[in-house]
Amino acid sequence: METFTKQTVQITLRVNGENHSVEVEPRMLLADVLRHEIGLTGTHVGCEQGVCGACTILVDGAPERSCLMFAVQAEGREITTIEGVTPDEGMSELQASFQKHHGLQCGFCTPGMILTSEALLARNPNPSEAEIREALSGNLCRCTGYQFIVDSVQDAAAAKAVNHTNADGGSDKEGA
Amino acid sequence: MRAFSDWQTNKPHDERVHDNEQVTTSNKHQVHDNVTKRYAKGREAMKPAVFQYVRPNNLQEALSALRDNADAKLLAGGQSLIPLMNFRLSRPTTLVDISQLKELATISVSEGTVHIGGLVRHQQLHEDEQIREVLPVLSKAAGEVGHWAIRNRGTLGGSLSHADPAAELPAAMVALHATLLLESADSAREVPAEEFFLGFLTTDLQDGEMITSVKIPVPAPNAKYGFAEFARRPGDFALAGAYVELSGEGGTDAVTWFGVSGGPERRELSIAKETSDRAEQFKELAEEFDPVEDPAYRKHLAVVVAEQAYQQARKGQA
Amino acid sequence: MADMASRPQFTGSRITRIEDARLVSGQARYLDDVDFPGMLEVAFVRSNRPAAKITSIDIEAAKALPGVKAVWTHDNCPLEMTSAGFKTTWYALAKDEVRFVGEPIVAIAAENRYVAEDAADLVRIRYEEVEPVLDVRTAALESTRQVHEGRSNVFFHRERKTEGFDDAFNNAPHRLKDTFTFHRQTGAAMENRSFAALMDPFSGRLTCYCGHQSPHELRSELCEMLGMEENMVRVVVPEVGGAFGIKAAMYPEYLVVSWMALKLRRPVKWVSDRQESFLSDVHARDGVHDVEFAFDDDGKIIAIYDHMMADQGAYAAVPFPGSLGETVTAANVLTGPYTIPHQATVIDCSFSNKMPLGAYRGVWGPIASFIQEGIVDRVARHLGKDPVDVRRMNMISDADFPYKNPSKMLYDKGSYLKSMEDALRLIGYEDFRKKQAEYRTQGRYLGVGISVFVEPTASASSEAGSVGYEACTIRVEPTGTVTAALGLGPSGQGHETTMAQLIADQLGVDVKDIVILHGDTDSAPFGGGTGGSRSGTIGGGAAISAGKEMRAKLVKLAAHVLEAGEDDIELQEGKAFVAGVPAKSLTIKELAQIAYTHVAKLPEGMKPGLEIVTRYQPPFKVSFSNGTHIAVVEVHPDTGLIETLDYAVVNDCGNLINPTIVEGQIHGGVAQGIGEAFLEELKYDENGQLVTTSMQDYLLPASVEVPRMKIEHIETPSASEGGFKGMGEGSLIAAPAALTAAVSDALEPFGVMVNAMPVTPAQVVEWVSKGTPAVGAD
Repeated sequence: METFTKQTVQITLRVNGENHSVEVEPRMLLADVLRHEIGLTGTHVGCEQGVCGACTILVDGAPERSCLMFAVQAEGREITTIEGVTPDEGMSELQASFQKHHGLQCGFCTPGMILTSEALLARNPNPSEAEIREALSGNLCRCTGYQFIVDSVQDAAAAKAVNHTNADGGSDKEGA
Repeated sequence: MRAFSDWQTNKPHDERVHDNEQVTTSNKHQVHDNVTKRYAKGREAMKPAVFQYVRPNNLQEALSALRDNADAKLLAGGQSLIPLMNFRLSRPTTLVDISQLKELATISVSEGTVHIGGLVRHQQLHEDEQIREVLPVLSKAAGEVGHWAIRNRGTLGGSLSHADPAAELPAAMVALHATLLLESADSAREVPAEEFFLGFLTTDLQDGEMITSVKIPVPAPNAKYGFAEFARRPGDFALAGAYVELSGEGGTDAVTWFGVSGGPERRELSIAKETSDRAEQFKELAEEFDPVEDPAYRKHLAVVVAEQAYQQARKGQA
Repeated sequence: MADMASRPQFTGSRITRIEDARLVSGQARYLDDVDFPGMLEVAFVRSNRPAAKITSIDIEAAKALPGVKAVWTHDNCPLEMTSAGFKTTWYALAKDEVRFVGEPIVAIAAENRYVAEDAADLVRIRYEEVEPVLDVRTAALESTRQVHEGRSNVFFHRERKTEGFDDAFNNAPHRLKDTFTFHRQTGAAMENRSFAALMDPFSGRLTCYCGHQSPHELRSELCEMLGMEENMVRVVVPEVGGAFGIKAAMYPEYLVVSWMALKLRRPVKWVSDRQESFLSDVHARDGVHDVEFAFDDDGKIIAIYDHMMADQGAYAAVPFPGSLGETVTAANVLTGPYTIPHQATVIDCSFSNKMPLGAYRGVWGPIASFIQEGIVDRVARHLGKDPVDVRRMNMISDADFPYKNPSKMLYDKGSYLKSMEDALRLIGYEDFRKKQAEYRTQGRYLGVGISVFVEPTASASSEAGSVGYEACTIRVEPTGTVTAALGLGPSGQGHETTMAQLIADQLGVDVKDIVILHGDTDSAPFGGGTGGSRSGTIGGGAAISAGKEMRAKLVKLAAHVLEAGEDDIELQEGKAFVAGVPAKSLTIKELAQIAYTHVAKLPEGMKPGLEIVTRYQPPFKVSFSNGTHIAVVEVHPDTGLIETLDYAVVNDCGNLINPTIVEGQIHGGVAQGIGEAFLEELKYDENGQLVTTSMQDYLLPASVEVPRMKIEHIETPSASEGGFKGMGEGSLIAAPAALTAAVSDALEPFGVMVNAMPVTPAQVVEWVSKGTPAVGAD
């Protein structure tokens, strides 16, 4: 058993596939450490009680609230933020779909929306409108009225399905 | 075990007013408002106060840490505790973080009993194939807890020990005849769920104890369960919810309500077949409850959700 | 010179937004993402008493805490929020007395917010409480304590009446009355209100960062209240995470943070938490309207009387005391789209011990629409007529334009009746009525509600200030790309795209070659900002005007170099060419190089460079958008749940700049309308405590509450440059009235006519239990 009685502690967080060594107080929320220590300000903070969903990140691939987790608790977990799903150039399929369908206005809720949607599509590649709305019901948006967000997710799913089919079609041809 | 403590010793105090006059918390209802409605009168905060953080490597270390730190609180999923800490409505001096103890996150079924570890997450409970098969009503209820991101982290043990009267799972335990295994560094005991919940945010959990698992008997083949709840928006705390147990010919049925008083309310009865008789039965039982806000409406809802749960049970949900 | 506007390439198109690239990738910088070395963070200790004298403040323990830089009371920061019209003494930090829960008393600057809150815990304040004033009717009584000693609680009173009102009202065949009650609300933007300030080390000026709708207005207010010159203060608006009116106001926290930056000589930042936002962002609505109305046997409405009472809260918000907006503007357009000849209004705005009222999207509108549509529906029900027929009978017709309403407001041409007929078709009104009757026999209660709205837009004065124009600079860079700047303060409306569309069409360049700047008083020309649905019309007008001016210079230059007449020069695809001789052309880049470098080639008298600034003021005081919303709801009589099943909008905001962005605004406004009608409410308890200070109590609509909407557009141009009308608020103006009307319609068998918002499930169940049990009836 180790005991530390100092003001801050050195921890290593694995974020977007990279290790970050940071010195934090145990009481520091993961959202604050991601934003202010690691500089990943794409994770937004809207309510700090888990209601609004703006701070949603992926922890081992599943959406969780970074305002309801202490940074020290994230050691050993695979953290993904909006920066982590953004390709080096351009946009991800989902991000492009949000732009195409005007699935955002002020953009403050958008990183949480996109991460929740990423996790949804990873589990359910072809969700119905009701399933999308249910999955996003913990992510509040004050601007869009959600309709174009739903369209964005649906279309990204459809685009993925098409790509998938095309890929299959291609291999079939090769096989034939 | 690693223990991290902050740079100053934290003097715990619960003053949320600016002078030495306490906000009136003379009755339970006031406390209810302050805690479940998550507002602090006049004092705004969004960052937790200082605490010492302890991360045990196994159950025994966790229980030892609980024993050795008088004001220690367990940190499991943190989905109820951390909001309260962010608002500084809760200021534990020590947090014992058990969230990573995988040994407590298992689900198994053996010899007619379902064993669910205290650290099983709501989403895990909701999606588990065995639970879907033998306790579909529990699977369904677990899927109604908060939102997806909350369910991914919130734990069964955390929900049961927090004992929010509007929460789905404490009532599920009562409805399903669960027994809770409470362990401390020096002892272990089993408590039936019905005896565990003592009232508003109050349980039989003693200092040093942890809910390490619950066991639920696999329902008899002819028993059927139904579940229904009503909230302003999906994912909000329920304004009223109910589980109905139909035991089959000759047996005793039961309704277990939540959200209508300080904790789960289980009532045994023989539920009438006739709709209007049933409504009378539910209405009579609901009259006993003492909801804080909109009492007439909440009692009315208690009858509505009981009927919905009854219909679910009739359809053979379990 | 050919008129570009006659064949626009970008204006009116569904261009995807230029700003999205940074927003979807998490690269945008909102206020809390602004950071400087040595930055201090602020926490406030706020009053937890609605009305009290402060007898002592003990800050010693807080000051002693390591990591704390400053603990300030009024003595350290004796600044005051000054309001031009209705002067109230609102100190940045309370002096001796507090007047609402949430009023800042102590400000703490520390190394981070955690430590600042630790220090806030250690502050001790003693109060001597006095009786709070919490109700608008009570406030008006002589016997009630004065919120501001020596001053009547009713600080604004006005009476207006059309000539012949009394006779018309008294002689009418039918008269009805009702009281309409409006709850408190607030904008609840996803990004909390925040402010940062520092002495800019490069220029030695105070630089303030703030998510604000009107950068220049904010700078003027800061300068006035801090006693500084405008050239010594720079305001920078970073990305804004929603504003909706609440970020158009000046706030005490902004003064304190600025003062700290000046006095402590450190960068200072305050980021509101969600509780603080609910307590201290300006509130809205909160009014009671005693309404009487008269009509004839056919359903023609003759006269409306409305005693409007609004609860301003403790102080006059700066620059916009919301109670005045919620009443005076409501009185201006109370008859909405209906030709009701007579109107009488009495307005009383009073102080109370609550957070001051300011602006929230649709100021006045949801109230006036609810009353005006409520009157029509009551007339229809009283006479046993279809509410659609009563609307048709009373509606302004095309022959009436320009129409002057009983408040002497001049309506420009709109499409009132057509918008309603189109919306009825979209929703399938006749079919719905048949289905509704069927459902009722099964004990299901569905209802349809109609709201035909008017939206006065692009006014000379609004919550964004009283600058009636907007400004635009355009600079064609030496490489031929374009940088433009406007005085706007967008918060998600997509101005970087829409303004670029307008300028692109004027200059014949690709929309992607245009960068729109805004929000920095150093780069943006002095302008009005964003609020009151003005940006598209006035800002768009400025963009077009500036574009035309730049275009004229480019054409003149091209004509000179190409040796052609100016009338023969066209600008397209980044080139200037002689009409019919496309080979005879110059790229914009080539023109720019002449303008900046080879200036000897310039025509005689033309100054070098391609840089202009223009201000545009529309040729009207206000332009009226219009449209119709129709909602279909199902009310579950057992639980009281209201589900919005179907929703149709026909919207007319003149010429469209970007239909997709317009539709996004409509969707968002309808969602906020669902919040206003059914979910959101700021509740003060009988002790003056705000009890809805979290998002678990102040319920915002989520994805599952908002239905898919059907939208169609009508384009009746205004007289503005481009023919635009504003549209940012119309959907929130119309939606609550449509939704509540649908509830009234659904519960008609129980005799329900909604007269207060929000309609809660508990209220529905109470109505059903008291009304006629009518399963299967009628």
